[in-house]
Amino acid sequence: MSLEKITDPRRMRHWLGHMETDYRYTLGIAGERFLNEIKENARIMGARCKRCGVIYVPPKMYCEECFEKLEEWIDLGTRGEVYTYTIAYVDMDGNRLAEPVIYALITFGDAYGGLIHKLGEVKPEEVWIGMPVEAVFKPPQERKGSITDIKYFKPAQ
Amino acid sequence: MFGKKRVAIVGAGLTLFRRNLKETGKELAYEASKMALDAAGMELSDIQSVVMGTAPDAFDGVHMKGEYLADGAGARNKPYVRVYVGGGTGVFTPLAGWWHVASGQFDTCLVVCEEKMSSCFPHPAYAFTTIFDNILARPLGTTLIWIFALEMHRYMHKHNIKKEQIARVAVKNKRNALDHPCAQLAANITVEDVLNSEIMCWPVQRLDISPTSDGAAALVLASEDVAKKVTDNPVWIDGVGWCIDSTIWTNRDLYYPDYVEYAARMAYKMAGIKNPPKEIDLAEPYDPFDYKELHHMEGLLLCRKGEAPKLTEEGVTARDGDLPICPSGGLLGVGNPIAAAGAMKVCEVFWQLRGEAGKRQVPGDPRTGVAQAWGDLMQYGSVIVLRR
Ligand SMILES: [Zn+2]
Repeated sequence: MSLEKITDPRRMRHWLGHMETDYRYTLGIAGERFLNEIKENARIMGARCKRCGVIYVPPKMYCEECFEKLEEWIDLGTRGEVYTYTIAYVDMDGNRLAEPVIYALITFGDAYGGLIHKLGEVKPEEVWIGMPVEAVFKPPQERKGSITDIKYFKPAQ
Repeated sequence: MFGKKRVAIVGAGLTLFRRNLKETGKELAYEASKMALDAAGMELSDIQSVVMGTAPDAFDGVHMKGEYLADGAGARNKPYVRVYVGGGTGVFTPLAGWWHVASGQFDTCLVVCEEKMSSCFPHPAYAFTTIFDNILARPLGTTLIWIFALEMHRYMHKHNIKKEQIARVAVKNKRNALDHPCAQLAANITVEDVLNSEIMCWPVQRLDISPTSDGAAALVLASEDVAKKVTDNPVWIDGVGWCIDSTIWTNRDLYYPDYVEYAARMAYKMAGIKNPPKEIDLAEPYDPFDYKELHHMEGLLLCRKGEAPKLTEEGVTARDGDLPICPSGGLLGVGNPIAAAGAMKVCEVFWQLRGEAGKRQVPGDPRTGVAQAWGDLMQYGSVIVLRR
C-alpha cells in the first residue's frame, strides 16, 4: 500500500463531488405539541405513562419501557437543574469562538430525560452541576415553535 | 454450547491508519482482506461468505457503501451483507461473522471493516451533524465534541475524577502505539502535554481525542473442523454480546454505560466467565476519548464503578501491568477509522493470544481477551470474548 505520508490531500489526484440534499424534518406528533406549548404558552411539558408512571421530557408519543401510548401531558414549569455542562471554545471547524458558549443538560424533577440547551446570564466559572436554572423565552411574537424559542436557561432566583 | 458450531479466528489483516491515504475504500478493504487470507494460508475461493462493517455513508461520501466495497472485500458472487451500528460496528461485524458460521450455514466467513474519513472535507465532523435529534438538538448547533464533553463532565463529577487521572490514558495509549506498525498518532507525551493542549469544549482538550483516519481491518472466521485443518493456533470466539439503549441520550445517567454492561454480561455468560478481572488477561475497550477507556472498563465489569482511574494511576492497565488495557495503543494512538478501529481491537486480541504481537506482546502467556466497541448516539455496546 501507499507508504508516503500525505499531509495535503489536494496533492492526490481526485475528483471533487458533493452530496447536495436538503431535508424537511417533521416535528412529529409529540414534538409538535411540545414545541407548540412553548410557543403559545411558554411552558415546558412532559408526558406521563399511565402504566409505569414515568414522565418523559421531552415528551414522546409512546413509552419506551412498556409501549403504552402516552396521552397524559403535565406542565413541568420552567425551572430545572444543571445535570452536566460543557463550555465550548471552538466551532465545528475548530476555530475559536469569540465568546465561549455554555451548553448544559437540564433535568426537571423526577422526569425521565431532559433538555440540552445553552446557559445565559452566567459566567462559565459560576456554573455548577446541580445549579437551579430557569428558561428564558423569546417574546411571544418572535416564537416560531422551535426549541430556540427558549433563548437559554439562566440561574434561577 | 452456543450456536451449532464453534467458531475460530484463523487470520487477521490490518492496513496503515492515516489521516489521508491514497487508496480508495475498496483498495483499503482489499489490502486488509488479502493480508488476513495470507495469514490464514487461505485463498479467496476458500471463503464461503463475507460480512462488511462500515460506518456512515457520509464519511466516504458513497451511498450504498456496502455494495460499493463488496468487491474489495472479495464478496463477488458470494453471500454478503453489510452491518452497521455506528462506532460499535468494528466489534459487531465479527459478531455477525460469528453467527454466519455458528449457525452451521457456512464453514468460513471473511469479516472486513473499512472507513475512509478523509473523503469528507473540510472535516468529517460535518458528517456527524445529522446524527443528532433534528428537532431538539440540531437547532442549538450541536457538535460531536460538546456532546462527549457533557458525558465526560458527568462521569468526572459523579466519581470526583480529576483531568490529570484521565490524561494518563492518553499518555499510556499513545506510548503503547509507538510499537504498532500501523499507528497514526503514536507519541511520547506527558500528562502536562494533555492538560496544556487546546481546550475545545471543556473538559475535552485536543489530546483527549483520537484522530480521524482512513484504514481497514479484516479477520478470517472458520468452523472448528476447518480451523483445525488450517492452523495449530486457532483463537476461539467464546463470547458475543451486543445491546442498545434509547436513542434519546438525555434519558441516560451518562456516568455509566449500562448498555455496555448488558452486552458484556451476555458475552461473559456464553464464555462461562464469572469473575471478569480475574479471568480476563487483557482487554481492548473502545477509547475514542481517553475517559471512554475508563468508562468502558467499568461497563465491562473489569473493575468497580469509578475505580478505573485509580487502576490506571497504579499502572495496573499498563502493557506489563496485571490487567493490560489497550496494549495496541487504542484509537488514541493507532487511529480511529471508525469501523476499522473496532476491528483493529479484535485483531490485537487475536495477535496477543497467539503470541504474535511482537513488541506489543503482553507478558504472562495470555489465554483470554476481550474487545469492545461503542457507538451510535452514545448508546451501543458490542463485546467479543476470545480464547486460545
Ligand atoms: Zn410505560
